[in-house]
Amino acid sequence: MDKQDRIKGKDMDAEERAAAMGITRRTFIHRSLVAGAAIGAVSQGLFPIISTLDVAYGAQEFRFAWISDTHLYPRTLNTRFVEKAERAINDVKAMKPAPDFLIFGGDLAQLGDPVELQLGAELLKSLTIKKYFIPGEHDWYLDMGAMWMKLFGKQPWSFDHKGVRFIGLDTISRGPDYWSAKKMTPQERMGHMATLDGSVAGPWAGVGADQLEWLEKTLSNWPKDKPVIIFSHNPLYEYYPPWNFWVRDWRDVQRILEPFAKVTSIHGHTHQVLYNEIGRMRSIGMLATSWNWPYPPEGVPALTVPMVRVDPGDHFDGVGWGKLTMTAAERVNHEYMMWRKDIFTQTQVDSGTGDNVNQILSPRIADRP
Amino acid sequence: MKKGWMRLAVSLCICLGIGLFGAAAVKAHKVKHTPEQLKAFEDVFMEQVRIGDLLFHGDAATEQKMGTKLSRTGMACAMCHPFAVDTHPYEFPKFQEQINKFSTLRDMINWCIEKPNEGETLDPDSDAMKALEAYILWSNRGSKLDPGRH
Repeated sequence: MDKQDRIKGKDMDAEERAAAMGITRRTFIHRSLVAGAAIGAVSQGLFPIISTLDVAYGAQEFRFAWISDTHLYPRTLNTRFVEKAERAINDVKAMKPAPDFLIFGGDLAQLGDPVELQLGAELLKSLTIKKYFIPGEHDWYLDMGAMWMKLFGKQPWSFDHKGVRFIGLDTISRGPDYWSAKKMTPQERMGHMATLDGSVAGPWAGVGADQLEWLEKTLSNWPKDKPVIIFSHNPLYEYYPPWNFWVRDWRDVQRILEPFAKVTSIHGHTHQVLYNEIGRMRSIGMLATSWNWPYPPEGVPALTVPMVRVDPGDHFDGVGWGKLTMTAAERVNHEYMMWRKDIFTQTQVDSGTGDNVNQILSPRIADRP
Repeated sequence: MKKGWMRLAVSLCICLGIGLFGAAAVKAHKVKHTPEQLKAFEDVFMEQVRIGDLLFHGDAATEQKMGTKLSRTGMACAMCHPFAVDTHPYEFPKFQEQINKFSTLRDMINWCIEKPNEGETLDPDSDAMKALEAYILWSNRGSKLDPGRH
């Protein structure tokens, strides 16, 4: 059996296929490539196994952690999400050696309530490593980010760490105004935003012209062959727009990032195992601590090895956090820290994506006039 | 001889025509539905879809009106099933692993209310259950029937 057949999964089980793609049971390995090799390899479907052209800059290996999508309610309503956020925080605390920093990837709160945001801040306070924050839509649309910014500062931001440029974007605050004309209360505005499959808030996910300009400027002095890791709440490509599994101006983002050979995009919002490549940018979707979103009926990237279908009777199933390592060879290794033994499916049926061919779904109607 | 065949062919065509007409006549309603009636039937259905949509998305006012308590965790059905995805109503009835029995969609709806949502289960014939079923089926209309699949 040749290598192409092996990647296509002929006569292989999912575990072997995942291993051939550089994915182990828990770990997804993102291999950094030089430009030409990456494009050629992807176009031939060979990327995962021929990515051997790493160019080291004497970079230092280090680790960092990601937690997102805790969706905290006040303790009086729901302690379940609090317990899972605490578990993730305690897991990060237990990392030895400690990670260099934590990224919190948005949706700390469920309904943007100051009680929820303050609860999140209190829980995260016990984690004493350096923390960086980017917002999710659930954190924002009750008071338009006032409490979020008071607690966690402003975005976007950028910093350099051990040979890598890190960037944090705000992909949630530049949605179209759907509330003023309808004279919505802040709670109504938040309620529509908090409904993933709602039809009122529209295509709210976006980077926006001002932030695109900032991004271009921020990267203008960075060598094109050095690593860039960019964090956002939403995916920086078009995955499934009806649930805002995208940013609407992703083409502009790609245009700015295209000259850079080693870009890794890390995002929340999708609450599931997810991997994609757009041009030379690799994109990794992270787990939520709160609950798992099912895969949408279409648009799941072909390079994603789907996660095992979640048992809804076990609220610790299908959720978790992320452990990331930047290797000396400038590879980003990502480990899905899911609180179950098996993460990747053996067959697509076990992920829910196997049923997608049968599903034809309709948007909801009750939130329309 | 040739005329004989012609007669036979004509007779068969006439018989076939009468047969088809007869079958159509038997199947037809005695009185045709008026457009107004069809609209009224659809309105009844879509009103149930609308109520089901609101219940599915945790609308507090609708819950109060229907006298239901579908969740005590802040979770709504749509938080795991946006667009009613992964509800697979076209796969029921089937053996449902979590319930450990041959189950209907209504059994599954009640399981989700009771277990993940920690709410109060519905009478399987209640208005709220029928509305939820109407929404889930409506949202999945056009999907391919695949009963028994897990």
